[in-house]
Amino acid sequence: MDNKKSRFEIAVNPFIRIAGGKALAIGLAGMLLSAIVAISGDVHYHGLLHYGPAVNNAWWTHAVEVLAVWLVPAVLFYLGGRLRSKSQIRAVDVFGTVAFAQIPLLVVNLLMITPPMQQMAELAIDANNIGQLLADHQLLVMSTLMTLLQIPFVVLMLLWMVMAVKVSCNLKSWALVVVYAVGIIGGDILSRIVISYIV
Amino acid sequence: MENVERKLPLECPSCQSRLRVQKMHCAECGTEVSGDYQLPLLARLSDNEQKFIIEFVKSSGSLKDMAKSMGVSYPTVRNYLDDIIEKLNEYGQ
Repeated sequence: MDNKKSRFEIAVNPFIRIAGGKALAIGLAGMLLSAIVAISGDVHYHGLLHYGPAVNNAWWTHAVEVLAVWLVPAVLFYLGGRLRSKSQIRAVDVFGTVAFAQIPLLVVNLLMITPPMQQMAELAIDANNIGQLLADHQLLVMSTLMTLLQIPFVVLMLLWMVMAVKVSCNLKSWALVVVYAVGIIGGDILSRIVISYIV
Repeated sequence: MENVERKLPLECPSCQSRLRVQKMHCAECGTEVSGDYQLPLLARLSDNEQKFIIEFVKSSGSLKDMAKSMGVSYPTVRNYLDDIIEKLNEYGQ
């Protein structure tokens, strides 16, 4: 087993080095910070892949959203792993690696609370403001730039999620693709239902 | 030439089939034994896999200790072991 992994390999798949309780602790700390940033800027997760402003801005709604976005896909990955993996998988690895994989969302939240994104969110909440919004070219350019900057971090989160399933459930080829797709797409749909039901 | 570490080839360089043992020889007296023998199960694994098994035995089968000494996560070590088990099962059939 080659344990001399390059920095690039570790950046692509941090779970070669970190999993279990350590990944869970770091992931939970990241989620806590993410929730604090979300509260400060009223950034809401409507699902795993959907975020933006919302009507109910109570602090607990952010906690529910962060937990739903973590727990729903993690449970789906765990169940998929139990069904498809030949290895004895541990819940702490699945929940820990999925929590860690969501750290890039902290950066997404930080970009969401930048002034252009906040202004855009305020205007976008009312459809009558569309004219004003389109007329402000500087705001449009800056908010588009901030949105584009979020893309690599969302992609990184999705990449780390694949690695989380791959390492924690020891899945390969089609089993990995199926469990991952169910976890991400199903996780997005289910977390949207859970969040809209509770919040 | 004597200092060069030579690796036992496991696959035929021409058709990639698994190689078998045909001749063994005693370096002391020159006796040669020939026949058609399969390679032992563990010898069919790659160098890295054989090293892993030796480390596994040395650490009394503790994957946690192995993960710590190798600087990798527990599931990474477990997955590697599971892949070797699968390979051994495949070879054993």
